[in-house]
Amino acid sequence: MSFTGAIGAASMFPLNTIIRLFVQLRIRPNFLTLVGVLVNVAAAYALAMGHFVTAGFIMIIANIFDFVDGKVARELDMETHFGGFWDSVMDRFSDISLFVGLIFLYAELGRTDYIMITALAMMFAIMTSYTRARAESIITKCKVGFMERPERIVLFMIGAFTNRMAAVLWIIGVLSLLTVADRVYYTWRELDHTQTGDFT
Amino acid sequence: MARTGSHTNRGFYVSIRRLVELPAVVIWNALFWTYDRATWQYDLMVIAILSFIWLTPPDLLGDPTATGPGLIGLILNYIQ
Repeated sequence: MSFTGAIGAASMFPLNTIIRLFVQLRIRPNFLTLVGVLVNVAAAYALAMGHFVTAGFIMIIANIFDFVDGKVARELDMETHFGGFWDSVMDRFSDISLFVGLIFLYAELGRTDYIMITALAMMFAIMTSYTRARAESIITKCKVGFMERPERIVLFMIGAFTNRMAAVLWIIGVLSLLTVADRVYYTWRELDHTQTGDFT
Repeated sequence: MARTGSHTNRGFYVSIRRLVELPAVVIWNALFWTYDRATWQYDLMVIAILSFIWLTPPDLLGDPTATGPGLIGLILNYIQ
């Protein structure tokens, strides 16, 4: 087993307990999604205030809600199309709020360069989700590229806990841009570009 | 015999060609990412990313919230 696989498997033990608890309490998955976003906004506030370690702990709580909502929906047999849509929309709010928190912090510090880097990272991060959603409306699957939401979240936490947010933003920005490029290229290839004549 | 020799030569050239192409293949596979999570390729990418984050001196990136030489700088200072 790979070491990232082992970390994932180890994390599942406490998460399964939390999922069982929410299932027993019959908490609605859409409500869990909403709570996750609100807690993420609190994490964004902590980032904006420069309290990185506090933000890291709040992000852990927020992302527990974010992770378990789908599993709870499955256990309670409450999976709906709207639930999937609601989850995706709320995920974007969570993503953007963390970036906005950092933009506020860098603005307070008078660092225009890092305001731009954070804004670009935010733009590419949103575009990774958009390109996949749009691609999957015309092709079956578009799951290429490294930087997806779970990677972004873990990187934010690493940046917060070890105070290396600048390096994390560079990584998120560059790898998100690459992911967008991968998805555009993959979709173009899947759509049989030789017949459509695009770019040829 | 000549045929065997030609086969050996062709095998050699194919091996050399693969060796020369290997870096390009590795770079292409890293850029056009199609691997799943929890694979050894994913592990390698994670190690590369964490190395960049923790080894790059914050001063080099002009980090607004962290200062200092970082892990590489500390190791270099220790060696010196």
